[in-house]
Parts: sequence; structure tokens; C-alpha cells
Amino acid sequence: MQRSSRRKFLVSLLGSLGAAAVGIATYPVFKYLAPSRSDERGGRITIPRAQVGVGQAHFFQFQGHPAVVLQRSPGVFIALSAICTHLGCIVKWVSEKGEFLCPCHAGRFSSDGKVLSGPPPRPLPSIPVAISGENLLIG
Amino acid sequence: MGLGRKIGDYLDLRLGIRDILEQNLTRYLLPRNINAWYTLGAVLFTLFALQFATGILLLVYYNPTADEAFRSIQRIMNEVPYGWLIRTVHAVGANIIILALLMHMLSVLFMGSYKAPRELTWVAGFLLLLLSLGMCLTGYLLPWSQLSFWATTVATSSSGEIPLVGDVVLRFLRGGAMVGQPTLGRFFALHVMGFPLIFGLLVLIHLFCVRRVGISRPPFGPEWHPAEPPVTFHHEEHPDGIPFFPHYVAKDGATIAFFLALLLAVVFFAPGLFFPPASFEPADPFTTPRGIKPEWYFLWAYQTLKIFPNEFLGLAVQGIALILLLLLPFLDRSPERRPARRPLFVSVYFFGIALFIALSVWGHYS
Repeated sequence: MQRSSRRKFLVSLLGSLGAAAVGIATYPVFKYLAPSRSDERGGRITIPRAQVGVGQAHFFQFQGHPAVVLQRSPGVFIALSAICTHLGCIVKWVSEKGEFLCPCHAGRFSSDGKVLSGPPPRPLPSIPVAISGENLLIG
Repeated sequence: MGLGRKIGDYLDLRLGIRDILEQNLTRYLLPRNINAWYTLGAVLFTLFALQFATGILLLVYYNPTADEAFRSIQRIMNEVPYGWLIRTVHAVGANIIILALLMHMLSVLFMGSYKAPRELTWVAGFLLLLLSLGMCLTGYLLPWSQLSFWATTVATSSSGEIPLVGDVVLRFLRGGAMVGQPTLGRFFALHVMGFPLIFGLLVLIHLFCVRRVGISRPPFGPEWHPAEPPVTFHHEEHPDGIPFFPHYVAKDGATIAFFLALLLAVVFFAPGLFFPPASFEPADPFTTPRGIKPEWYFLWAYQTLKIFPNEFLGLAVQGIALILLLLLPFLDRSPERRPARRPLFVSVYFFGIALFIALSVWGHYS
């Protein structure tokens, strides 16, 4: 009886030590493999106004995600997420029609991001834009 | 009935798992006088598993191009969480592995365990040592630092001294006239895929030979006598021995813990031991840094090349030494394994170790 309880104690002790060792070894591996959030942080970004012509769209990365800024009419800028709200494809700007088209399932968005037709359930999220001299401050 | 027992019963019914475990663990008996040197195989298995795991983790962030390799290593070391730990364990682990491999080989030599019927075990083991050195050499270039670039330049240049085919061999090794992107590409492919595949196969052959022939009895004690050379296949059994599990596994565990402690001691208390200053500068093909030396396990070869009047002679001597070691079981055919009864062999053995150390120290300070 005494022998059995001593064996049980030693097995439990070894098991606990082993589990602790596995835990200690697993934590750095988990942190090593965990996706970095550094490119998803960050505040405003600056884009020269000259890069966005009237009726033209300029695509860029904003906090780790594709986004687009558009000059709808002279001096009127709008920035939107470029990710289609249906299944995450990247929309493209069709300047002839003045609207965004998702090439995956033909979802159409107006120049201010509202859904015109197709499967997207929500409009494209908008991002604040401010004009500062010759630059656009986005975010 | 516990869940563990239920799973055991399920597997036992379908695969006879308990019989396999008993045969290979509790009913697998080892010589009663087995010593700690025999645990080095398990130590190496563990260390190689660690290299394999850390190597895969490094591949997540490493970029094998001449433009990006150094930057990706810097990123692993400075930005990726615990990247420094993974990379340092991998780099230091390679050195500890070579140390354990040499100790394993020396213990097998001293106890004459390479002799018949274990010639094939020896040959597979020796090839594993050479392959490990190959993995060290190819892995050394991957950080694309000044150290790795110029150490590889020096290491590959000696192959150009082979008569007739030297230039072809050199260009083939480097993928061009000089070390560059083609060298990095082929060394990377060899390091992460080519060599590990061959290595895995050789480990299987080595372990199969060990298990099939049986563990050799240490040649010590009054009851040990040389066996007659085998005429038919014979599996060496030890009916009066100790079970592999739990007795010998505990001993394996203790030695493994010792080597892991050694590895972690270097990683945490002397992380710069294997990283000289030139390993922190990106490769520059136009500037050779002063005093480039190979890693400690190649110093003997480096110094040998310097001693001889021409490099080919030095290479030939190294080649002959390695071939003699590889073929040793076929040359040394006496069944006697007791060191005290092999004075010539033991003298050459200790002279060889002293020569290895002397050449390495000389190479380091030359």
C-alpha cells in the first residue's frame, strides 16, 4: 500500500514536471508563431494630393488592410476600405461608371461605398480623410 | 475503467500494441553492466529532434535570398518574439550535437563496439557523422553574414585543389565561380531538404542495425570474453540483463537532461560563444574580414591544410584518415574488445584524440 502510494506520488510529480516543461517550451513557440500586429497598428498616414486625380482612385495599405482614396469632385475626397463586404475580395474602381466593382461576384458599390447591387450585405466602411496643404491625412 | 485503459484495449485488440511495447520496453533486456556512454544515442536522437523542430520554426521567417537572408535573420533575432531563443538554440544545438557525436564515436571505438557483427551499424553511424558535418557547413552559410560568407568561401576553395576535376567540383559546389546567390540556393536546399532526407534514412538503418543485432555488452569485468566470429545471424540477448523501461530509460533521461542543461546554459549565459563579431555584419563580397576561422570542429582540417606544402596533400591526408575510420571494422577483425588487451589500438586512439585537440588549438591560435 505504502509502495503503491509512493509510486503514484512519483508518477504524479514526474507528470507535473513534464507538463510544466512542455508548457514552458510551448509558450515561446506560440509567441514566435503568433501573427504580428505591428503592421495593423499605427495612426494616420499621409498621401500627396497629387497622387489622386479628380475621378481617380488610389489604393494603399491602411493598418494592414487594403484601402482606397477617391477624389469624387475637385477638392472632395473620400477614403474607404477596399475589402468587399461579401467574401473579402478587393474591389476595383471603374472610372467610366464612377463605381466600385467586386470582380469575384459582381458586387457593385457607389463612389461613397453604398451597395448598388449584388451580394454584398453592407457598404464599404469609410475612413476619415482630412486635407492638410498638399497632403491628405487618412485615419 | 479509465480512458487510458480503454484506448489501450482498443489499440491492443486491433494492433497488438501491448505486445509490441512489452517486447521493446519492459521485456527488452540490456546488459547488466551497461554504462552511461550507451545513452549518447538517445541524447543525439533528442538533440536532432530539437534541431528539426527549431529548423522548421526558423523557416517560417527565414528568406533564402542574398538580398534578404541577413535581414530576415536580424528580424528573427530582434523583432520576432522569442526568435532569438529559437535561433540560438538551433545554432548552439548544432555545436552540442557535434560534441555528442564525437563522444558517441569515441566511446564506440574505445569499447570496440564497431567490430563484427556490427560493421554496418558503424558505417551508418559514421556516415551520419559526415552528414551532420555537411549540415553544419551548409547551415553556416544561411545567415549570409560576413562570417558565413567568408567561412564558406574558404571551406569550398580547398576543393579546387583536387587534381583535374578541382575547378569543376568547386564551381559545382558554389553554383558559379564565387560564393553568391546560387551557392545560397543550393546550400539552403541541401540543408533543409536534401541532407535531412538522407539523414532520416540513415538513422532508420542505424537503429534497425542496433535493434536487430542487439546491444553489445561492454567489454569490462571478469566475465567478458571475446566471442567467436559469427557464422550465422545471431541476435545478442542478455537474459540476465536490466529492462530498457524503466531502468535504462531513466538513465537515458538523466543524460538527456544533462545535455539539454548544457545547451541551455550556453544559450542563456554565453549566447555569444559561437557568434564572433563577423557574424553580426552582412556579407560583403568585396571585403574579407580579418582572421576568418571555421567552427571548432573544422579547425583540425583547417590547420592540416596549412601544415602541408600544398592543399591537395592536406586534402588527401584528411580523406585517407576518414576512409580508414569508415572502414575500420573491416580492417580491425580481431574479436578482442577489452581496451587493456588492445594496447596498440588504445595508443593510436589517444594519440588521435591528442592530435585532434592539438591541431584544433593550433588552428585557433594560428
